[in-house]
Amino acid sequence: MRIPILKLQNYLLVSIQVELDDQTAIEFQEDLLNKIHETGATGVVVDLTSVEIIESFIAKVLGDVVSMAELMGAKVVLTGIQPAVSMTLIDLGIHLKNVKTALDLEQGLIKLKQELEEK
Amino acid sequence: MNPEYKDILLDYSDEIIKKWMDDLEDNKLKEYKSTVSNELIEQVNREFVNLIFSKLKDGVNYESLEQFSERIVNLGWPLAYLTEGMQSFRSICIRTILEQIDNKDEAFFLEVMDDVNNWVDPIKNQLINEYSNNWNNIISLQKVALQELSVPLIPVMEGITVMPLVGTIDTDRAKLIMENLLDGVIKSRAEVVLIDITGVPVVDTMVAHHIVQAAEAVRLIGSTCILVGIRPEIAQTIVNLGIDLSRFPTKSSLKKGFEKALEMTNRDIVNVKEKDADIIDDMVQSIDKE
Repeated sequence: MRIPILKLQNYLLVSIQVELDDQTAIEFQEDLLNKIHETGATGVVVDLTSVEIIESFIAKVLGDVVSMAELMGAKVVLTGIQPAVSMTLIDLGIHLKNVKTALDLEQGLIKLKQELEEK
Repeated sequence: MNPEYKDILLDYSDEIIKKWMDDLEDNKLKEYKSTVSNELIEQVNREFVNLIFSKLKDGVNYESLEQFSERIVNLGWPLAYLTEGMQSFRSICIRTILEQIDNKDEAFFLEVMDDVNNWVDPIKNQLINEYSNNWNNIISLQKVALQELSVPLIPVMEGITVMPLVGTIDTDRAKLIMENLLDGVIKSRAEVVLIDITGVPVVDTMVAHHIVQAAEAVRLIGSTCILVGIRPEIAQTIVNLGIDLSRFPTKSSLKKGFEKALEMTNRDIVNVKEKDADIIDDMVQSIDKE
């Protein structure tokens, strides 16, 4: 099962609506980076509203994807992380320090825009 | 109970009551006497004794027992009054029976003891149960009340929410705070949350750790936390303990924090009009026209 990646002007939108397993997560990482390369997108929003569980490996992959995308010159914002998910991540000691977050897709796009303008 | 003893107790009930009252008078109620009138003590004692004797006559009447204990609990009389009262009552009863029947046999003595115990103990147990139930009720009610008070979340304007914390923070409460905070942020779609710790008396490593965790969790769901209400002594403890709070903004007062929050949401406080100056201008103009 591949996760669809949508292009909107300069941005890429990803809405993750399945429970991520290790395989899907790795595939997602590859797909997203390829897509950034293809489209030359400058911003990515990953929406996690429908994700109820994130375990440590998935969290690591997400953190890595963000770092990798930024290496390729695209800003990434994670949006819609659920309270329960956030609490588990903090309990696991995963702080995702280098990752930007926003409440929902809309706010995420606004944040991206601000970040890109600042640059 | 042996009918013989029962008859003795009933026959001498007046004497027993009198002795018991005297005994109580001497020892037990001295401390409470200052707060309660003599008549009330007398009345409650009499009710108490009647209750015990009515059990001797017609068996236990739980309803009246319940009523009695409820009354005593409401009056705020200490449990010691009941237990000590029962003890002295028991010893007086045993003594009376032994005095009336002249028999120094050991078996007889034990029998009297058992009989009186069987008579008095259930009442005592029932009363103590009532008491402890009452206490438990009060404690659980207070717990609920405390929990309701412990994590308020106030949305002050669009995108800005305040959580004022008052009182000591322990692990349970920290968990509650975090859950409420995150749910509240999602529900009110707050971009900035101000955590006000003016009312937290002590900030040690554990409390700071909880606050930092909450702030991190808030960041993960896409909002920002500002810690406000840091008093000088708290700032000192935080630095002395080597706690790192640099990952999110901190302010000394809620006012400053709120200004920062406005700034973060691209807003500003503007005076609508300089009213006094305007009024004077109007007056000057109207005078000019005339």
